[in-house]
Amino acid sequence: MDELLVGIVNLSWKHVAMWVVAGILIYLAIRHDYEPLLLLPIGFGAILTNIPFSSAVGHEGFLTRLLEFGIYSELFPVLIFIAIGAMCDFSPLIRRPIAMLFGAAAQFGIFATIVIAAMLGFNLKQAAAIGIIGAADGPTTIYVATRFAQDMLGPLSVAAYSYMALVPIIQPPVIKLLTSKEERLIRMEYEEQEPVSKTALVLFPIMITLIAGIIAPISVALIGSLMFGNLIKVSGVVERLSNSAQNELANLVTLLLGITIGSTMSAEKFLIVEVGIVLGLGLVAFIFDTAGGVLFAKAVNLVVKKKINPMIGACGISAFPMSGRVVAKMALAEDPTNFIIMHAIGVNVAGQICSVVAGGVVLALVK
Amino acid sequence: MTDTVQQALSLMAIALPAMFAVILLFMGATALLHKTFPAKEE
Repeated sequence: MDELLVGIVNLSWKHVAMWVVAGILIYLAIRHDYEPLLLLPIGFGAILTNIPFSSAVGHEGFLTRLLEFGIYSELFPVLIFIAIGAMCDFSPLIRRPIAMLFGAAAQFGIFATIVIAAMLGFNLKQAAAIGIIGAADGPTTIYVATRFAQDMLGPLSVAAYSYMALVPIIQPPVIKLLTSKEERLIRMEYEEQEPVSKTALVLFPIMITLIAGIIAPISVALIGSLMFGNLIKVSGVVERLSNSAQNELANLVTLLLGITIGSTMSAEKFLIVEVGIVLGLGLVAFIFDTAGGVLFAKAVNLVVKKKINPMIGACGISAFPMSGRVVAKMALAEDPTNFIIMHAIGVNVAGQICSVVAGGVVLALVK
Repeated sequence: MTDTVQQALSLMAIALPAMFAVILLFMGATALLHKTFPAKEE
């Protein structure tokens, strides 16, 4: 009889609180469509791990085994990067490489947040893992967290994916605060889409991998897997592999990644003050990223003749294509005839590469 | 100021320029690539 009552007897308010947290994640995923591919499995994984004596976790639990096999080994984030690479179209970036500068500026939030986290008492590795939420890039966040702060993997991932889903709420007020109406009305010419040769498309991922790898070998797993995924897409000769990477691989790894991350959200690790601070700092990182991109674009306007709409600087974060769409929508709201989506998406694509570069730089410099 | 804050500030002072340098390198190489292999020639 005791065997049957073991769950009830050992149930605490902390478990129930975590069910509520998990319920909120599942609710946001289903009701509001907030990153459902990740938040839904994360929420359910959190339920599985917060049942007393759950057989899903622990020495023989399948979620713990997945955690060791897929996350601590860094395998899942790398596989996700291959899938993302296979979905990416880097032609806008090859056409206008200058967009990469805006992508770089929008990584400012990462480093500002690292400093703030250090001021709040986190050690440098923890601070770096928190700051990287500002990359607005889930796999990079998980990858860096696995190296620097495994205990905080759950909250860091939840923060990264939640704030990515909240880009339409977080970015517009920051952009409005930092720009005047005149600036938001700046029109940008619609340029003829100059075609990109297949040779350039094929050489681009190889070239980027080699440059990044030579400068920071530690970044090879991140940028190399992203670029490998892209290479199989643009090569045009392995369509089956490209389709598998974009669909089966992406879906399967996303499913396992989400539920495994959820399993790290045990009550004793999640219901602590530090997690609240981590979630707050994640928001700070996104705000600083947006501000960094917008202010950089404004600074560029001081020296160029052809003014750019500074709102596109905010698209330098990696949340693709959400950030590009949000900014394009804001421009249309100010002037229904001002179409800047092409420029916004170009910067947004650049943000994807720059966030991985920022992750690589952090990995290389934090010892 | 604690040691960790100083380390974080040093990290920012080194990492930001380093990241921009890498990105500038990417930009230059990408522009060169696009110029060397124009679509028209294919």
